[in-house]
Amino acid sequence: MEKGRERNRRGIRGWFDPTVPNNLERWAYFFQRLTGLGILAYVIGHIGDTSFFVGGPFGTGPNQSSWSFDLSITENVVGHLILIFVVLIVTFHGINGIRLILAELGIMVGKPSKIEYPYRPSSLRSVQRHIIWVAIVLAVLAAIWAGSILFG
Amino acid sequence: MSYVKLVVQRYDPERDEKPRFQEYIVPYRKGMTVLDAILYARDYLDHSIGVRFSCRMASCGSCGMKINGKPALACYTQVSELGTERIVVQPMDNFPVIKDLATDFEEFFEKHKELMPYLVREDRAEQENPKSEYLMKPEELERILQFTYCIKCGLCYSVCPTVGTDKLFPGPQAIAQAYRYVEDVRDEGGETRLNILDNPHGIWRCHFAGSCSAVCPKGVDPALGIQLLRRYVMRGKAPRKKGEGSKPFTK
Repeated sequence: MEKGRERNRRGIRGWFDPTVPNNLERWAYFFQRLTGLGILAYVIGHIGDTSFFVGGPFGTGPNQSSWSFDLSITENVVGHLILIFVVLIVTFHGINGIRLILAELGIMVGKPSKIEYPYRPSSLRSVQRHIIWVAIVLAVLAAIWAGSILFG
Repeated sequence: MSYVKLVVQRYDPERDEKPRFQEYIVPYRKGMTVLDAILYARDYLDHSIGVRFSCRMASCGSCGMKINGKPALACYTQVSELGTERIVVQPMDNFPVIKDLATDFEEFFEKHKELMPYLVREDRAEQENPKSEYLMKPEELERILQFTYCIKCGLCYSVCPTVGTDKLFPGPQAIAQAYRYVEDVRDEGGETRLNILDNPHGIWRCHFAGSCSAVCPKGVDPALGIQLLRRYVMRGKAPRKKGEGSKPFTK
């Protein structure tokens, strides 16, 4: 029985589940985790990169020439695309994070009421769901803005 | 459509290494539910299919399963609404499989019981032998009514991503029922329930994926109950202390 128990538990695979109908929050949940990991990877990479050039084998200490050399490596099309992507995921993660904080405080999730068929859970049609769309739109706008600066 | 191709996931943990799929051709009739199709296959084609069911009208919560990948009650899902002749049925996720489509609810009910899904009164003697009804206003009932419709089918538990990764998380059903009793003006056990939930594997592990509410066949909104209950946990204060529950009715 224990073998069957373990086999059927979803584990991390369950983060992504497009099978649940009318569940934008599940997509937001998945992308919140994914973007969180992306931001973590960027921060680690950024700290590593900066440390490497400033204090590492190519660095000559915390001076302008080391920093300029570092920037010269990242200032290309691929580097810019990575930065635009970082702006996209940071904006989404931040706004969606605020939505989650408010929702988890019981704000903007609706309130219990009498229900009638066809059932439409109040938490899934409350203001919090609109904020997911706001997060998506603002993330795209922020990425476009970042692109206009980097490629402009 | 005159026939449906029913594909059942077969798996006996005591015999099989891994699940396999088996096909059955079932004659279709108007109004046929997925449960009807499974029962036809079991009764006339293969007696060894393992399935749990009872009321056949979405009241008992026994026949939860994945139908074409989506969690639903088999008795509450018409074959015609699926829009396909091929129907794949699998056991619910996050539950151990007893056999084929029948899953083990022991862990689920243990978690449910742990959160005391009943009225708790300071006066235990009165609780066990109440002499009259407890008073409750209609608007107070409205705050908990939808949560009382839970049939414990386990669909919410099967789609919860936290249940899938944390064995100790009580799950949406149990926490929503905790909210139902904490919010009930007749109850005085709120603080005990909040203490049980206030731990790293408790209410804080919910991240509001909302799938529990999206799949509930009875319109219960566990995600809402969990977020509202979290407010009480955060304040460290239940809406009522012991002795503050509504009074028994007297003439």
